[in-house]
Amino acid sequence: MNNLNAINRRHFFGRGATGLGTAALASLLNPDLFAAREQSRNAIGGLESMPHFAAKAKRVIWMFQSGGPSQLDLFDYKPQLQERFGQEVPTSVYPADRKTTMTAGQTSFPTAPSRLKFKRHGQCGTYVSEVLPNIAKIADDICVVKSMYTEAINHDPAITFYQTGSQIPGRPSIGAWMTYGLGSENANLPGFVAMTSRGSAKAGQPLYDRLWGSGFLPAKYQGVKFRGQGDPVLDINNPPGVDSETRRKMLNALGKLNELQHTEAGDPEIRTRIAQYELAFRMQTSVPELLDLSDEPEHITSMYGKDAKQPGKYAYNCLIARRLAERGVRFIQLFHMGWDQHGNLPTQIRAQGRDTDQASAALVKDLKQRGMLEDTLIVWGGEFGRTVYSQGGLTNKSYGRDHHPNCMSYWLAGAGIKPGLSYGETDDYSVNAVVDRVHVHDLQATILHQMGIDHERLTYKYQGRHFRLTDVHGKVVRDILA
Amino acid sequence: MNSKLFAFVFLIGLGAQGAQNGFAGVDFNRDVVPILSDKCFHCHGPDNETREADLRLDKQQDVFGERDGRRIVVPGDSEQSALVRRIRSQDIDERMPPAHSTRQLSSTEIDVLTSWVDEGAKWTKHWAFEPPQRRDLPAVQDAAWTQNAIDHFVLRRLEQEELKPSQRADRETLIRRVTLDLTGLPPTPEEIDAFLKDDSPGSYERLVDRFLASPRYGEHMARPWLDAARYADTDGYQNDRIRYMWPWRDWVIMAMNEGMPFDQFTIEQLAGDMLPDATLFQQIATGFGRNHRINSEGGSIPEEWAVEYVVDRVDTLGTVWLGLTLGCARCHDHKYDPMTQRDYYQLFAFFNNVPEWGLGPNNGNSPPFIELPKSWPHLSAVENRLIVPARYELNTKQVSVVRPNSGGPETVMVMHELKEPRSTYLLRRGQYSQPDKSEVLRPSVPTSLGDRHDTELKNRLDLAKWLVHPTNPLTARVTVNRYWQMFFGAGIVRTSENFGIQGEAPSHPDLLDRLAVEFVQLDWDVKSVHRLMVTSATYQQSSSTNSKLVARDPDNRLLARGPRVRLSAHEIRDQALAISGLLSDKIGGLSVKPYMPPGIWRAISNNKYAQDKGESLYRRSLYTYWRRTIPPPTMMTFNAAEREVCIVRKGHTNSPLQALTLMNNVTFVETSRLMAERILCEGGDTLDAQVNFGFRLGIGRFPTSRELDLLRDAYHEFFWKYENDRAAAAKLLTVGEFPREKRHDTIQLAAMTMLASTIMNLDEAVTKE
Repeated sequence: MNNLNAINRRHFFGRGATGLGTAALASLLNPDLFAAREQSRNAIGGLESMPHFAAKAKRVIWMFQSGGPSQLDLFDYKPQLQERFGQEVPTSVYPADRKTTMTAGQTSFPTAPSRLKFKRHGQCGTYVSEVLPNIAKIADDICVVKSMYTEAINHDPAITFYQTGSQIPGRPSIGAWMTYGLGSENANLPGFVAMTSRGSAKAGQPLYDRLWGSGFLPAKYQGVKFRGQGDPVLDINNPPGVDSETRRKMLNALGKLNELQHTEAGDPEIRTRIAQYELAFRMQTSVPELLDLSDEPEHITSMYGKDAKQPGKYAYNCLIARRLAERGVRFIQLFHMGWDQHGNLPTQIRAQGRDTDQASAALVKDLKQRGMLEDTLIVWGGEFGRTVYSQGGLTNKSYGRDHHPNCMSYWLAGAGIKPGLSYGETDDYSVNAVVDRVHVHDLQATILHQMGIDHERLTYKYQGRHFRLTDVHGKVVRDILA
Repeated sequence: MNSKLFAFVFLIGLGAQGAQNGFAGVDFNRDVVPILSDKCFHCHGPDNETREADLRLDKQQDVFGERDGRRIVVPGDSEQSALVRRIRSQDIDERMPPAHSTRQLSSTEIDVLTSWVDEGAKWTKHWAFEPPQRRDLPAVQDAAWTQNAIDHFVLRRLEQEELKPSQRADRETLIRRVTLDLTGLPPTPEEIDAFLKDDSPGSYERLVDRFLASPRYGEHMARPWLDAARYADTDGYQNDRIRYMWPWRDWVIMAMNEGMPFDQFTIEQLAGDMLPDATLFQQIATGFGRNHRINSEGGSIPEEWAVEYVVDRVDTLGTVWLGLTLGCARCHDHKYDPMTQRDYYQLFAFFNNVPEWGLGPNNGNSPPFIELPKSWPHLSAVENRLIVPARYELNTKQVSVVRPNSGGPETVMVMHELKEPRSTYLLRRGQYSQPDKSEVLRPSVPTSLGDRHDTELKNRLDLAKWLVHPTNPLTARVTVNRYWQMFFGAGIVRTSENFGIQGEAPSHPDLLDRLAVEFVQLDWDVKSVHRLMVTSATYQQSSSTNSKLVARDPDNRLLARGPRVRLSAHEIRDQALAISGLLSDKIGGLSVKPYMPPGIWRAISNNKYAQDKGESLYRRSLYTYWRRTIPPPTMMTFNAAEREVCIVRKGHTNSPLQALTLMNNVTFVETSRLMAERILCEGGDTLDAQVNFGFRLGIGRFPTSRELDLLRDAYHEFFWKYENDRAAAAKLLTVGEFPREKRHDTIQLAAMTMLASTIMNLDEAVTKE
C-alpha cells in the first residue's frame, strides 16, 4: 500500500498538479499522505530537498529598470571627470572592440561627465544623484553595488541574461526557478507574478514574455502577468451576464460531471483538473481582493505617489507588490521601461527619476514599517550601464550615452543584505568594474542564496544536461551579506 | 511472491530508472548507462577538458582495463572491481564521486552498478548509434489480439510482465480519438453515426484512409513540424520585426497532404536550392533553414549574430533528425555523447555559406529571399522554376547601423550558397570573436554516427542525403518516435529530443527498430507509418485505467491501455470553433489576427495588435499570427511551443489559468453561444433531446442518465437565473463578434450557452480519451 501511495503522490507532485493546485488536491485525497511533508515546509509544491539551508528571505521583489540606467548619473560619482569634459576617452580605458554599432563608427569619443548633482546621504554617506532624492533618503537601508558587470551590449540579450542566466532565449526565468524550487506559499495566488509599466515618456525598449517565462521548466512555473489594462489576470473575470453565483452553479455541475468521468476513466489527472477549477474560482475572489486598494489609508498611497491607484503605473505596481508580498507570493518581478538615454540624457533621466524614485523608496519604507523588510529581498537595477563617452554631440547641457556592459550600479535591501553599504569600485572613468566585481551570475547566486538555495544544486535535467540558472558560474557575494 | 514481482517491488521502492519505466530487472542500456553518464562522465567521459585521471568510463577498453595494477571492472566479481570498491568506499578520500561533487550516487544506484558487475558486466555500444535492425515478430500467447506488427512487440512485453492489454475502446471513443489524431478536429455527429452503423469488416481502416486523404490532415500534421522548425511571423528579438514565412508554412501543409516521402521532405527543406534545376517549390522548402530568429536590434554586432543563426541551424538539425543535443559541443567537447567540439564546427561548416547579414532589416524578410508569383500557390510549370534569390545589399546611408535590404509580403526567405564558401574555424568557448585560425575546418559529420558511405560530404545536399541514407542510425528512429509520441502521448524513447547517452532508453527497443526499418522500406511513406500506428490493436485499446494499473505503470510505458492525453492548444481552440460551426476551412495564406486581450502588444512593445474581422477570427489556429516575444497568451496557457527555438516535445500542465480561459475567454464564450444556437436549432424539441445532442456534439457520445440528470438540473438553474435577470442574459449573448441568431429566446439561449460552456469545460472535452 505504501508503494501505491508513493506513486500517487509522485504523480501529483511530479507531473500532474501545478504548484498552485496541490493544496486543493490534498484536501481531496487522504490528508495523511501529505501531512508530513506539507506541515514541515509550509509550502505548496516545490522540491523535497528545498530549501538547502535556512533562508534569510521569504520573497523577492525585483524592481527591474529596463533600458540600462546610467550609473554615471545615478550612483557612480566621478567628480574628477569634470576636468576632462570633452577630452577623448583613452583607448587604453575603453577598447574599440566591444562598442555597439550605434557608436562604434563615431570618430570621437568625448568624455561626458555627469551634469547631475551628487551628494552624500544618510549616516553611511552613500553618494546618490539628484535624480533619486527619495532613494537617497533610504541610503542607510540599502546596499549600493557599483561594480556590477555583464557580457551583453544589446537590450534583448542583456535583459534575457539577467532574467534567465543566458543571453540566448530558451531558459527559465529566475522567478520560475524559484517557484520550481520552493513552490508557493499561497494556495489562491500564483507563486510568481510579473508586472510592467511605462514612464511618462511612454517610450521604452520592448519587453518579452520570456522574461517571466518558464523556458524548459514545466509551464506551471512561469510568472503570471498582472496587467494594467483589461482583466488584471487574463480571463479572470466572468463574461458579462455571468455572476459569481452562476459561475458557482456551473462549477458544481462541472465538478460532479468530472467526478463521474474519474470513476469511469480512473485517470488521476481528472482530479487535478477538478482542483484547478476550484482554484480558478478562488482566484476570481482573491485577485480582485488583492487589487482592491480601498483599504489602503491615504498616508500610505500618498507615500507611493500620485499614481499609486492607477493601474499600469510604476507606483501602483510597487504598492501591489507589497500586497502580493503580504500574501505570500514568492517572486514579484516589476519591469519599468524607459531608461535608454542615448541622447538628451539629463532631461530624460530626471523624468525617469520622477516616475520611479518615490515609489521605489516607498516600497522599502513601507515594508520596513511593517517588519517585512527583514525577510523580503529587494533588488533594483537594469540590464547594463552606459558609456562615459557621449553618444552624438556633447554640449555643456546635454549628452547621450550608449549601452555599456563593463560596469553598472545596482542596489539591494532587506533580507540579510548589509544596509548602508556602498560596495565595489569602478575605474576613474566608470568604464570597468575594478574592485569587488560582481557578475550577473554572482547576483543571481546571491539572490538564490538569500532564499535558501544553493545555486549549484538547483538543477533541472533538460536535453540530457543538468541546467542551472547560473550556468557553470556564479559566486555568492558574501561581502554584502550581514 | 515470485522473483519477478519481487524485483519489481524492490526497484519501485527504491525508485530506479527501470522501475520508473514500469519494467523489472537490470539492463545495461536502460539502467547502467544513465547512472554512469549522469554521475561519472562529467570527469570520466568524452570531454578532454574536464577529464580526471585520464579515465573514461564511456570507453570499453578503459572500463575493463587496468589502473595501477587494479582492474576497474572485473565481470562477475564486484569485490575485485575498483569501480565498485570506490563507489562503496567509506573513506572520504577514496570514495567516488568525490564529496565536493554535486552528483552523488544514491544507494539504489550503487546497488544497480554492483549488480551489473556481479551479473557479468554486459557492455554494448550505445544502442542509438548502431543502425536499426529489422526485428522478427516475437512470439505471443494471445496472437488473436494482434492487428499488426506493432502489437506483437507490445503484447510480448505485457505478457512478460504478466499484464493483459485493455479491451478495444468503444466505437464512439475510437472515432473521436482517431479523428482528433489525424485531423486535429472532432468528428461530426453525422460521421459518428455513419461509423456506428458500418460494422462491416475494415470499416475502421476505411475511416483512417479517409482522414489520411483529408486536407485537414496536412494542416494538423504541419503543426508539430512548425514547432520543430521554429516557424513564426516575427524575427524574435527586441522589437520583434515582421517577417513573411507563411509560403513556407503552406509548403509544409501541401507536402504533408500530398504524402511527400520523408526523405524527399528532408532533402528539399535542407538543400532544395542545391538540387539540379531546383523548382520554386523546392527553393521555398529551404525556408526551414531560415526560420530561426534574426536580431535586428540597432547596435548589434553583425558577426556575433551571424554565428548564432548557423548555431541555430546546427542545433535544430541535431534535434529534428538526429535526436542529439549537438549544441552541447559548441563550447567544449560533449560531456556525454561521442561528439567533439571539432565535430560541431565541421557540422557548422555545412550551414555557414548563406549569403546573409547578421543584423536584420527594420521589418520584412532578410536576404536571401525570393519573390513569389502572384499565382502562388497554384504555379504553372513555367512559374515553378529556379529563381536566383535577392542577395543582400547594405544600406549604409545611416552612419551607425548598417542594415540589409528587406523583402516584402510577396517574398519568402530561402537558403542559398555562396559561390566561395566561408572559412569555418573552431570557435573557442563558442565565441564569434575567438576563432582558432590555425585550421580551416571542412564540412563533415561525426565519425561516431557511423560510416559516411566512403564519400566525402561536401555540402548541405550531401548532408541531407546522408541523413536519409538507410544506414543512418538515427533519422528513421527519431522520426517514427515523434510520430509515436503524437499518437500515444509519449515516444517509445520518451526523450524524443535526445537519443544520446543522457536520453531515456526506449521502452520497446525492438519495436522502435522494426518501425524505423519499415519506414525506410516503405520508401519513407509517412502516411503508411501513421496508418500502421493508428490501426494497431495497441492504439485501439480503451484508455480507462484503475488504481492498480496506475500504481503499476503510472505513465503507461507498457501500453496496457490506450493513450489518454489532453488536447494541444491548437486542438482545443480548433475543436471549439468546429463544434460551434464557426471554423473556416480555408487553407494557407497570410497569418491572421484573431481575438486578443486589449493592449497585449502595446503594454510591453512598441506595436499595436490590429485584430482582424470576420472569417479571419475563425481560421484554424496554425494560421494565428505568431509574434515570438509575445505569443498568443491563450495558446501559451495550454503549453504551445514558444517558437523561439526548435521544440519537439512539450509537457502538458494542468493549471487554473486553463480553467479561466475555457470559462471566460471571448473565443470560448462565443463558441459556446454558437454551439447553443446549434443545439436549439438541430437538437430537437425537448430539453432532454437538446442536452443529448449538445453533449454529443461536444464530447462525441451520449450522456449517461446520471450525466443527463446533472446537465438538465444545471440548465434549469441557468434558466431560472436568467429568467430573473433578463439583462444579464442579453449581455452574455453579446460576447464575440459573430452576430446573434435573433429568433431564439434570449433567456433560453443564454441558459443553453452556459450549458454548452459547461460541456466544453469538461475534462473529457479537452482530452483525447
